[in-house]
Amino acid sequence: MYKILLILRYFQRRLVALFALLAVTLCTAMVIIVISVMGGFLDFMTKTAKNLSGDVVVQRDLTGFPHYEQLISGIRELPEVSGAAAIVRGFGLIKMHDAVRGVYLSGIRADEYNTVTNYRKALHWTSELYLDYFDQLEKHYGESMAESLSRQRHWFEQHDLVAQSMKFRGPLGERVRPGIVPGIAVSPVNTRNKKGEYELWHLSTGSQVAVTVLPITMQGDVSSANIRPAVEEFMVVNEFKSGFMELDRDFVYLPFDVLQRMLDMGEKRDADPETGEYTGDVIPARTTEIVVRGSDGYSLTQIEQAVDTCVQRFAERHDTGTLLVKNWLEDRWGTILAAVQKEKIMMAFLFGVISLVAVVMVAVIFYMIVMEKTRDIGVLRGLGASRTGIACIFLGYSLLVGIVGASVGLALAALVVVNLNEIQDWLANDLDVSAFYMAAGLMGIILGGVIGGLTGLATGRLRKWILIGITAMVTITLCTAFMVLKQNVDLAEWLNEHIRFQMWDPRIYYFDRIPGRLDTVEVTVIMVSAVVASVMGAMIPAWLAARTDPVGSLRYE
Amino acid sequence: MAKSDNNSPILVARNLHKTYRMGDVDLHILRGVGLKVPQGEWLAILGASGSGKSTLLHLLGALDRPDRGDVQFDSTDVFALRGGGLDRYRSAHVGFVFQFYHLIPELTALDNVLIAAMTRSSVFGWFARRAAARGRAVELLTQLGLGERLRHRPSRLSGGERQRVAIGRALINRPALLLADEPTGNLDAKTGGQILDVLTYFHQAGQTIVMVTHDSRVAARADRQLVLDNGALVPG
Repeated sequence: MYKILLILRYFQRRLVALFALLAVTLCTAMVIIVISVMGGFLDFMTKTAKNLSGDVVVQRDLTGFPHYEQLISGIRELPEVSGAAAIVRGFGLIKMHDAVRGVYLSGIRADEYNTVTNYRKALHWTSELYLDYFDQLEKHYGESMAESLSRQRHWFEQHDLVAQSMKFRGPLGERVRPGIVPGIAVSPVNTRNKKGEYELWHLSTGSQVAVTVLPITMQGDVSSANIRPAVEEFMVVNEFKSGFMELDRDFVYLPFDVLQRMLDMGEKRDADPETGEYTGDVIPARTTEIVVRGSDGYSLTQIEQAVDTCVQRFAERHDTGTLLVKNWLEDRWGTILAAVQKEKIMMAFLFGVISLVAVVMVAVIFYMIVMEKTRDIGVLRGLGASRTGIACIFLGYSLLVGIVGASVGLALAALVVVNLNEIQDWLANDLDVSAFYMAAGLMGIILGGVIGGLTGLATGRLRKWILIGITAMVTITLCTAFMVLKQNVDLAEWLNEHIRFQMWDPRIYYFDRIPGRLDTVEVTVIMVSAVVASVMGAMIPAWLAARTDPVGSLRYE
Repeated sequence: MAKSDNNSPILVARNLHKTYRMGDVDLHILRGVGLKVPQGEWLAILGASGSGKSTLLHLLGALDRPDRGDVQFDSTDVFALRGGGLDRYRSAHVGFVFQFYHLIPELTALDNVLIAAMTRSSVFGWFARRAAARGRAVELLTQLGLGERLRHRPSRLSGGERQRVAIGRALINRPALLLADEPTGNLDAKTGGQILDVLTYFHQAGQTIVMVTHDSRVAARADRQLVLDNGALVPG
């Protein structure tokens, strides 16, 4: 019981242990914040990747495979599957706003595709955004545009643009070309403001674009004299924003039948290559991929195995070439997500190593405490305390420091992670004057601490005079700062212009907001590790305390 | 340990030798010291500074081990006890009072006394005897004139008050032996006299005291005096 009494009293009264507590707090907070932000990245990327992927894909190379509708029907009958959709994939060139670039093309049947992915949720432009756009146009151009916008406005008030998807024919029904949905970063005119939001002034919807593709025969041949590049014009009916730069910059969705036709993969009559006459056979339509969504209650492995069995049965009946069945992680996302996962683990490891500094600080501080408490140790041994009991006092003390430090560290980390974006916004936009006041306050603390400390040492009332000194000086410096800023407008303007810190520029990084999430298991592991580290740091000092010779420690004052 | 009757000595030390090595030099502090302390006696051991008085007291209280010789408490060889046995001997049967008080600065006067009682109990055992121990501590401190200072920490007590707290700490477990190492050495004459009055009070109540001092006037308060000279004890 004496151990508990001494642990509590030492914890309450010994200021030096606060430094050990601070070390544990800061290291715990640092590791939790890093893990939470990296975990948030990983979660965001996983969710984003899944938004436009199914659970399982059945793939052929760019030549595609026939009889896909039969395969889709067979897959849809599986209890492990809730939906399946065909996609035609290809490469091509897109000419948009006079800029030409290479893109990956995906031909989809939008309604079917939406049953296996969250395609509609990824569509960026909504009726609400359009209405905001019209409000801005009217404010800018006045009544001159009001009449021309009113019919369009009426359409957007009555219809959901997202639900329209590729069927959208424009608010005035003007579309005559097929609709196309490029990634929002495909267009060269789409720019983002400082907050990472796309500017409404540069809407690409309604633009005319041209897509060029090179058809491939079933044999994978592009060199035939009969094969020419296919060019078609489309109207942009919306843009998708997945949050993943790779997708948003390089991918474009087209109507399934249009792309199929452009790639010469539609159903056609077989003709003699020499005479051009119809042979009586029909070459079936082809697709390159089927995307499958699993049913709830089945694991990814179960879904993949069920689809694989179905595909094997299909392949035995039809000459389709090799069909690959992969889950979504093994598809294009696996490498990217694995890399982020490894980065997260590496960051956690590195920050964990850095946190060893907390162990060293605890060791040094507890060594100092043991040296200071040598006399107490001698007294306790004289009272009958055992060596083990003496060691337990300091181990228990470090355990308490670890528990309190880790708890405060968690609270600090939670405060930062939950408010990370607000902190970033403040640093970027409001740091200027606040920084000036913070500098004044800090100067007050330092000056007050020094003056109060010196007075306290002279009078023997250290804590009291430090408190008085800091309170007085902080008040004086803050009031002085306020008066200076009030009198000096130029200084305030200079601060506004020069003091800001953009930790996260959404125009450079693709996430608009810094993602972060606190995971219970990860946080628990970090906190337990912090407590263990604190106790480990005190082990050597505790051992030294147990070995202290009571006679030597009691000999002198 | 068996209780002794009033005639047999409660503490017997035989042929105690203690040497300290200081660099290349061996200092023979005690050379075959022996003594017997009957129950209820106040024994004073006089000696000059550096004569080995404190060393002898530490051996009697098993805070240190002799190079040769033994100490018998109630017919039990103290140094034959191992580890936990020695700790229990000190907590149950010995109370130390030091020249420099050695109170724990973070604890109040009451807690400084109670901590001696706590060393005798486990956590669960303490809850059973907490009330009785607290009552005894308050009674002791009140007897020592510190009834109004129970919640004060040592920094707010005078030297004499601190020494009285130390005496309370030494006596809370009702030890058979009170070992006092220059209890007035750090106090002025008047305060020192007050401390000696306190020791006299408890001695008259039956407490066995072994006190070491360099001051013959302090030693004169005891029932018997011995002189430690050149590592050996001679009658005073």
